Amino acid sequence: MTQPPAKARRQRAAFLYMVIFALCVLHQDFWWWEEAEPLVFGFLPIGLAWQLGISLGATLAWLAMVCFAWPAQLDDFDASEARAAQGLGVHTDGQP
Amino acid sequence: MTFGIILAYVALLLGIALFSTRRSKSSSGDYFLANRGIGSFMLLMSIFGTTMTAFALVGSTGRAFEKGIGVYGLMASWSGIIHSLCFFLIGAKVWRLGKKYGYVTQLAFFRDRYRSEGLVLLLFPLMVGFVLIYILMGVVGSGRVIEALTPETFAVSDARTSVVVEAPVTPRIPEALRDRVSFDEATRTLTWSGSLHPKRRGELMAMVKPPTPAWQKAVATVVAKAPRGAVPYAWGMGFISLVVLIYVFFGGMRATAWANTMQTIVFMVMGVIAFVVIKDAMGGAEAATKALLASKSAERASRAGDQVGKLQFLTYCFIPLSVGMFPHLFQHWLTARRASNFKLTVVAHPLFIAITWVPCILLGIWAAAVLPPTTDPNAVLGMMVSRYSGDVLAGLIGAGILAAIMSSMDSQFLCLGSLFTNDIVAQHGHRFGMGQLDDKSKVRMGRGFVVLMVLVAFVVGLTNPGGVFPIGVWCFTGFASLFPVVFAALYWRRSNKQGAIAATLTVGVLWLWFLDEALTGEFLIAGMMPVTFVIAASTIVLVVVTLLTPAPPQDVQDKFFDALGVRES
Repeated sequence: MTQPPAKARRQRAAFLYMVIFALCVLHQDFWWWEEAEPLVFGFLPIGLAWQLGISLGATLAWLAMVCFAWPAQLDDFDASEARAAQGLGVHTDGQP
Repeated sequence: MTFGIILAYVALLLGIALFSTRRSKSSSGDYFLANRGIGSFMLLMSIFGTTMTAFALVGSTGRAFEKGIGVYGLMASWSGIIHSLCFFLIGAKVWRLGKKYGYVTQLAFFRDRYRSEGLVLLLFPLMVGFVLIYILMGVVGSGRVIEALTPETFAVSDARTSVVVEAPVTPRIPEALRDRVSFDEATRTLTWSGSLHPKRRGELMAMVKPPTPAWQKAVATVVAKAPRGAVPYAWGMGFISLVVLIYVFFGGMRATAWANTMQTIVFMVMGVIAFVVIKDAMGGAEAATKALLASKSAERASRAGDQVGKLQFLTYCFIPLSVGMFPHLFQHWLTARRASNFKLTVVAHPLFIAITWVPCILLGIWAAAVLPPTTDPNAVLGMMVSRYSGDVLAGLIGAGILAAIMSSMDSQFLCLGSLFTNDIVAQHGHRFGMGQLDDKSKVRMGRGFVVLMVLVAFVVGLTNPGGVFPIGVWCFTGFASLFPVVFAALYWRRSNKQGAIAATLTVGVLWLWFLDEALTGEFLIAGMMPVTFVIAASTIVLVVVTLLTPAPPQDVQDKFFDALGVRES
């Protein structure tokens, strides 16, 4: 698979770090600190539902990070390990 | 029945863990790191299982019972963001260094990066002390959970015990309870024989319709005075410690990873089952929340009042940085087969936290509407399970709770064995007349230290020390405050041993300085988590001392930065 250019990767990473920082800001939901209602789905107090949303948002943000901004050095290292293992006649899945 | 299911679960766990050792080789690389061959799924499950403990299930439910929904924002949603950040920034990079330079422990990395045995000898007691406290959370939690979940297990042996109370009202005793309850009209006394499950409170109450205040008082006295017949705290604690010891002793990291994978699945599934069963027994989720809103504890559904402070809510973000310095997690990182194995862990961790925590938080706030406010927070989950589910489910859910506890304890015990063997005995044994350790000696030595640590944890656990949660938070504070040391080691070329030692000393001194206050209950400084100040102090000290002292040798900079490519090209 072709590696995205390093500059584009860094830009994506910077953008995604900003998204993660935004999640940290949104985590401070002072606006309904004292509120229990409305109840989301009829039973989730609004403050808990919001924080659950933060967790789901974090999952998506990290998914984007590993898909679009995974460090090139780590991929290179995996590739060189795999090449070295093949050179020794060993498959990287651990099977002989 | 409940205890029988727990025993069956433990037998299955031991079977799987010991089965996994059939694939192991008798080398120290296999014993401590499973030959660095763990794939994506097992890495996710073992890391998640290791970070979730009694703290996540028992502690979160109890804390939500006391402090409401804010507990999720404090611990869980912050952790979802910050843990993955640590895995991404620290874990994957440490794995690459470990694979390239052959590190087995966290301290081996620091020794090489900072070229300082002094730093290692300073970090060692801190790491061992913090991990032991962390282990104690699990040990104490396991004893309490088993005790709470197994009333009337020893009903037969309690049969000769009787509780006699005054009862001014004549009760109608049902046939099924005739062998346990008797009423003497002459003296107007009620006698209960044998152990008593708290669930039977309702059966006793129903003997007088409608129950008068005098009858309610008599029932409350019987419930309070009758023996529970539960598995005693010390037995439960010792039993769980022994189980973990067996599979860590024989299987090392490979058995630990397999056991953690199974246990993580079990505690997540059982947590969801507990939630569904209790929710249904309470008349559904909507009814349970509405009952809470109509009760005196309605504020548990919000963060109103003094439940959670806004600055506390903000500064709790530093606590999850502790995973960057957990030595047992560090060891798990080193077990990965490839760097790409970290991807699944980074992505799924926040989702798994939500799946585990949201049900516990809801159970905790719903419990506030039905349990007396004086209930021990650490007993809330056990009491809800006991109150709203049958014996079979209570046993399954109890197994889930114990799975969460054991999946952390095993890694911690193994990690302590690794630290003692690889960083103390192998490095300093010659000073005490010990020769070079061969591979088999390292495994033997590691096992010996695991046994020793289990014994230490058991003996300290016998004193049933304090609340589980404050101990855990303070232990996390220590780890989190050391985060700047590992971050600088990986990302700041100029970072040197003088700065690292000064920062570590700062953390050690401040941690001990505040220890008394930390263990007395909720401890805040100006409304903020104390970790804010300790981590700020350690960061400032690290930066200032580093800049005032010489840069690390060029070969260190080459080895850790240039040779690995700091910048992408």
